[in-house]
Amino acid sequence: MKKIIINVFTVVIFILGITSCSDFLKEIPKNQISVDQYFKIPADARSIVNTLYSEGVPTFYNSGDWEGTPMMLDGYMSGLFDNARKERLGPTEAQNLTLSPTILQDYMFSLWSTCYNAISQSNNALKYIPGIVGLSQSESSKLLAEARFFRALNYFYMVKHFGDVPLITKPYGSLDSINVERDADKKVYDQITTDLEWALNDGGLVDVPFYMNGFRITKGAVATLLADVYLQMAGYPVQSEGAYSKAAKFARIVINSGQYKLISNGATPKESAYNVMRTSNTEREYIYSYECDPQLRTNNSPKYCVPMEHKPPFCIYESPWNAYRPLNEFVRIYNPDVDLRIQNSQLWHNKIIRNGVTYDFNGDWAAYLWYDEKAIYETGRGSMNINIYGYAEVLLIAAEAIARSEGVTPEAVSYLTDVRSRAYWETDRDQIKSELEGLSVDLFIKEVWKERLRELPFYFKTWPDIQRTRLYPVTNPNNSGEVNFENVVGHTNPWGATFKEYHLLFPISKITLQRNPNIIEDSYPN
Amino acid sequence: MNKLLQKDGNLPLFYQFFRKMKLTILIVTMSILSSLSAETYSQTTKLTIAENNSTLLNVLRAIEGQSEFKFFYNEKVDVTMPVSLEVNQKSITEILDKVLSSTFVKYKVIGRQIALYDKGEMEPFMSEQQGKKVTGKVTDSSGATLPGVSVVVKGSTIGIITNMDGAYSLSNVPENAILQFSFIGMGPQEITIGTLTQINVTMVESVIGLEQVVVIGYGTAKRSEITGSIGYLSSKDLKEQPHLNAMDNLRGKVAGVNIFSNSGTPAGNNMAIIRGVGTINSSWEPLYVVDGIQMTSIQYLNPTDIESAQVLKDASAAAIYGARGANGVILITTKRGGKKRGTNVEYTSQYSFGTVIPKKNSMYDPMNSKEFMEVQKISFDNAPYFKTYPAGQEPKLALNNDLLFDSNGNPRYDTNWKREVLRTAFSQSQQLNILSASENSSAGLFLNYATREGLFLNSYSNTANIRFAYDSKLFKWISIGTNIRITPITENDAEIMMGGARSIYQFPPIFPVKWPDGTWSNSSQTQGTNMSFEGLMNPVGRLLEEKRLINRTQLFGDFHVDVHFTPHLELKSQVGINKELYKFNYYLPKSISLGAAEGNASKTNSETTFWQNENYLTYNRDFGDHDVTFMVGASWQKQTYESSDFSVYGFSSDYMQDYNINAAVKYNHPTSDYYDWTMNSYFGRGSYTYKGKYSFTATSRIDGSSRFGKNNKFGFFPSGGISWLVSKENFMSNIKSINLLKLRTSYGISGNTEIGVYKSQATINSSTVLIGGALQPSSTIARIPNPDIKWERTAQFNIGMDINVFNNRISFEGDFYYKKTYDLLLDRPIPETTGFTSVFDNIGQVSNRGVDILITTRNIVAEKFNWTSTLNFNFNKNRIDKLGQNNEDIFPGPSWVDGSQTILRVGEPVGSFWGRILYGIWGTAEKEEAAKVGQLPGMKHWSKDSKITGKGYPDIMGSFINRINVGKFDLMMDLQFSLGADILQQFNVITEGRNALMNGIKNQLYNGWTPERQNTMVQMIRNVNLSGQEFHPDTYWVADGSYLRGNLLALGYTLDEGLLNKLHLNYVRVNVSVQNAFVICSPDLKGDDPESMGFYSKFGQNIFEQQYPKPRTYSLGLTVQF
Repeated sequence: MKKIIINVFTVVIFILGITSCSDFLKEIPKNQISVDQYFKIPADARSIVNTLYSEGVPTFYNSGDWEGTPMMLDGYMSGLFDNARKERLGPTEAQNLTLSPTILQDYMFSLWSTCYNAISQSNNALKYIPGIVGLSQSESSKLLAEARFFRALNYFYMVKHFGDVPLITKPYGSLDSINVERDADKKVYDQITTDLEWALNDGGLVDVPFYMNGFRITKGAVATLLADVYLQMAGYPVQSEGAYSKAAKFARIVINSGQYKLISNGATPKESAYNVMRTSNTEREYIYSYECDPQLRTNNSPKYCVPMEHKPPFCIYESPWNAYRPLNEFVRIYNPDVDLRIQNSQLWHNKIIRNGVTYDFNGDWAAYLWYDEKAIYETGRGSMNINIYGYAEVLLIAAEAIARSEGVTPEAVSYLTDVRSRAYWETDRDQIKSELEGLSVDLFIKEVWKERLRELPFYFKTWPDIQRTRLYPVTNPNNSGEVNFENVVGHTNPWGATFKEYHLLFPISKITLQRNPNIIEDSYPN
Repeated sequence: MNKLLQKDGNLPLFYQFFRKMKLTILIVTMSILSSLSAETYSQTTKLTIAENNSTLLNVLRAIEGQSEFKFFYNEKVDVTMPVSLEVNQKSITEILDKVLSSTFVKYKVIGRQIALYDKGEMEPFMSEQQGKKVTGKVTDSSGATLPGVSVVVKGSTIGIITNMDGAYSLSNVPENAILQFSFIGMGPQEITIGTLTQINVTMVESVIGLEQVVVIGYGTAKRSEITGSIGYLSSKDLKEQPHLNAMDNLRGKVAGVNIFSNSGTPAGNNMAIIRGVGTINSSWEPLYVVDGIQMTSIQYLNPTDIESAQVLKDASAAAIYGARGANGVILITTKRGGKKRGTNVEYTSQYSFGTVIPKKNSMYDPMNSKEFMEVQKISFDNAPYFKTYPAGQEPKLALNNDLLFDSNGNPRYDTNWKREVLRTAFSQSQQLNILSASENSSAGLFLNYATREGLFLNSYSNTANIRFAYDSKLFKWISIGTNIRITPITENDAEIMMGGARSIYQFPPIFPVKWPDGTWSNSSQTQGTNMSFEGLMNPVGRLLEEKRLINRTQLFGDFHVDVHFTPHLELKSQVGINKELYKFNYYLPKSISLGAAEGNASKTNSETTFWQNENYLTYNRDFGDHDVTFMVGASWQKQTYESSDFSVYGFSSDYMQDYNINAAVKYNHPTSDYYDWTMNSYFGRGSYTYKGKYSFTATSRIDGSSRFGKNNKFGFFPSGGISWLVSKENFMSNIKSINLLKLRTSYGISGNTEIGVYKSQATINSSTVLIGGALQPSSTIARIPNPDIKWERTAQFNIGMDINVFNNRISFEGDFYYKKTYDLLLDRPIPETTGFTSVFDNIGQVSNRGVDILITTRNIVAEKFNWTSTLNFNFNKNRIDKLGQNNEDIFPGPSWVDGSQTILRVGEPVGSFWGRILYGIWGTAEKEEAAKVGQLPGMKHWSKDSKITGKGYPDIMGSFINRINVGKFDLMMDLQFSLGADILQQFNVITEGRNALMNGIKNQLYNGWTPERQNTMVQMIRNVNLSGQEFHPDTYWVADGSYLRGNLLALGYTLDEGLLNKLHLNYVRVNVSVQNAFVICSPDLKGDDPESMGFYSKFGQNIFEQQYPKPRTYSLGLTVQF
């Protein structure tokens, strides 16, 4: 009897076991939130927009390690900059113009995926934020404006570097219609300017310098990007009509806001404006920066500005290296007799003097703007923000755009004079001004280009200028400061490689082409 | 159930003496008998039987179930005859008298064996004084006497079983008769008597003990009836070698199970792959089932606890594990409590020391100080060759450092870092087993303490293992068992660079280990010179002062109940819990830090909890010619994982370390993580054997997993197999040379569920981002959802043959398989314009086809001398059949320098290396051609594009094992081999490519390109700092990865009984062994050992960093049983 009872009992347990609750297999994430539960409260809107500050293009200024940052690849492409540590392939393949859809395919793929990932985040923000209950109209607009700013920033990089790229403005929620085609660069530019103009006019953004707005996007940042975008559109390959006047218009919005000014030089070269840029994060000159922090986000640049073989003792970086070495062909754009920027320890340096000992770079130059002594000798953690747009660039955009659209006006001359006279620290401003006045538009513009080359190498404008002007700056070994512009196509760079037209864009990665047969690389030979 | 079958109608053969008993147990049982009087047993054992309206067979089974009696009978005894019997506490003779009284069956009790015979037959063991009398003794290959061996005169019913001393005596043997000797697990023997009257026989263990009962997952089966492909390993196989790691002990023992020993660290880094890589994104590792509980690793299982292991290779065998069976299943059975009444104690002690195996080619050794400085000098001299310097500004080597150089500029130190870092590693293991048993229960206590040292200073792993196993028969129809294991492991994961020996090769020899002031040197201390080295911490300092302490604790317990509803129907229910605690405590002291000496501490904790409940009903009945087994069951599993991680820096001294992280002034953002997954499964198996010749098995399993999409939670995995024991057919009886022939084939589908969690859902990853000087919340959308994700499936076809020929002298086991994995769970590449680079999807196909071969030959079979050879190997061809939607290449990593080092490409095997072709070094004559690609003579001449340059997994892997027994000595030689794999020597870039940036191998100096030595593959010496460097993985990095390894040479001696009796001991064995005695491999290999894994990535098999060296280990062991 007992046996029977137990037998029945076990069978019951067995059956119960088999038919236990059906929720057993339900998957409920706890360390992540499912999308259905998200985009419900205002905090969700802020979080997704916050992400954009450190995704996509801004990260190109602070990543890459041995091969330098993706922004430096622009410099290597020009052939005018070198990465002394040729361990990774990017610099070499770019300098030798040997890149192709297969060579540097991982690199190119990563540029695409990083930008489109940020674009996708923006698309999500733009789609979901308007539906969030409890978000004030003004905050909603601001967040949407920031999302549009970042979408534009990423598309601008893509269109500048790859030409026709697919224009995606809605987030993907499934795998439907993922094999898109390339859209004309013009169309992409139109979306960029639409986004930025919306942000400028309807975003309700404040008009104060970046650092005063808690390092969030301002009206000035949007207008500056717009001016830059129109300047680029005005040139090759789009050559958009009326773009110069648009560029002038938006540059003027920044200039006339009265919020920005160039840092002035102090009494000694040690207190120059360039040394202030090197050591201060809060200046009215900075319009948009990538924030860094020794703990929360280290700036990697300090290790790029000490040549390994001339490393002073107690350098914290085990292997610093000269990752953004200007070639002599570039250094000669400066006239060392008048230009502060090419004096040692201004924008560049050619030796380090530390504790009374000189560590001479044997004729090489390295970036000095990134020379963060605390990071290099004490903490190993770079703390300076990386400036992506500055006021000097706005002035130079304005000078060029006004000259192109209105002629060499006193206004245009004054903007160029502002930038140049800061650098020619011992030259009288009026003398500089008078030399510029009376120049033809063509000559004046060339002066602007030279100033861009000299002033903006750390904003990585050398290559975009070559892309839009299709002119290559050629210096004179016997006359530093003299720069001539020659057709880039057919020009041979200092590495002995000759530019073909397709080199003005990066190749589309074979990986991208394989994934989407609708995308076609039609210029690079493979 | 024991049955005396007739083969030729009247030829009785003893088959299947014991169910569910293995050879070793049998021997133990038999030896117990020597201490007991057999008569006493038959008289004292009282049985209670209640079988109404039953059959004789059931009565016999009931008796066997309650006692140790075993029945033998031939087909003239009709066991299906109806009988009724109810007795209470009666002796065996009383019962048999009663039940057989109304039949024609007679019986005879000999010890615990009872022979039944028809009244018309002669009494089987009676001598009738016709013919002659033959006597003799039967021993096993080690010389131990074998009781219970069946000795039968061929073609008659005359037979007997050897007694407790292994002796037999047969009378009435006809002239010229043939004696047949048979015993479970041993190859049968036939001996023609001729004029002999005394015949001593040595039985040799059979490779395929057809009657052996093996664990097959949710039950057991006779080997003869198995339709699938299963590899076997007994504790005897494991006993011969020193116990280091359970995985090491399985290595090379089963064809098709390839175990890659990828590191020489005390904890090892093994990876097992059964029949090739059949998946890409999911786990490649087989499922481990330890005593019925599923696990993902057995790395920390005490190897001496293993009683036996079975490897389920094909679908017929593995599909019972459904969605977790696709990579094969390794079933481990651990040792249980005592088998005989009383208490038995066994103590095993083992000591070993490991030494470095010297490099064969000294060109591949690191340079000494003199050579190092020569490279420095040459590199400076060459600098103007690579870059134009203004006149007079050419770099010149300056050595103004009195600490490093004397006044003549000669280095003061010449440190051999290899010698400083490596040591002789001592290890020991102590095992104490206490086994006890009473009438209805048995218990076992297994204690182990082992300390293992690695070759690196201060690298060790200490393991304690406490296990308790208990089994009890509560009532005659219910029994329970439990198994509890606690395993704490402390490991110092000492390393000097990237988990391997890299800084032995890199650290400049011109530095001392310590400066005269007692501080550690480091490679950045080059003040006053213009040499600049890559910053490296002092390797000896790191080993001695850096803390990398891992504490693991494994808590395992299981409990099971067996209910026997009837003799045929049994319910088993099991609950198991496995909890793994992991702690990593890290401290980088200021004393050895490079750069900012702040003291960095971190603590990482994780806890993985797994529970499993399995319930299954088994029905097993033997209806004469029809043997039927059915099993149905259900299972629930859940795993929970949680972790946390803190790291801080900025200590004022090195005192507090990770013990008090509050003392640090700065911290990194803390992190934590959590996930869980569940599975629910229903499974069943039916098997049917007709006449012991034709067997059919069908299994199926339905698995539900939380990890799969809403629309595809459940997967169905069926399989079927058939086998045919051809040698049992009548037509085979005349083919004397074939002792066994079995054919089997199977087909089935199993799956893979080892993917990450939440792969089907779109989720938001939350983190923080720096805005306005502080962290702000941020969120990103993690992936594109795919609710249709379903199970990855592997369809496998297997056809196999087992054959024993020439008196079982040669046995062969071969299997051909074709394994196709489709619906691969793949991070399918998608256009990056979606915002994502991949979506988890079922796309793609990988196939493996190959053969498993196991050949055993008994070369010499003699009384005091036996020699057996076993060759086993697996030949496997792996191919990617389909990928993604457009068959896109996938670059799965590991990524380095030139991107991914491996490629997944349709038509190629998984683990193919990706790199350029190195044609050579540009020669002086090729200057112009070189210039076109920006190179100079002395630099590398590469192909433009990358290609597949080799593959990391071998075509053939196996072992050749020889066992020789001479008297009480046993010798084992285990050679292991691998063919067809390549090695990507990634360290090449460090040891040859970074001239002057750090030390490297002598080859760069003595074989580097110079205008006078142009015929070389080694680049011209160039100073990395001054002249840059470049590298792509290329064909020069690739070496042939084939090897032959002297895996184990072991010599054992077992004390003979006489001496044992004097010492009052039951068993004593002493053994000495050498592991990893030698390795023969490609002379191009510049590393230490031809087996390694880069980046701890499965795609990194045979991609070499400078690995942690593997020792040659000498061991001494002693086992004593009291």
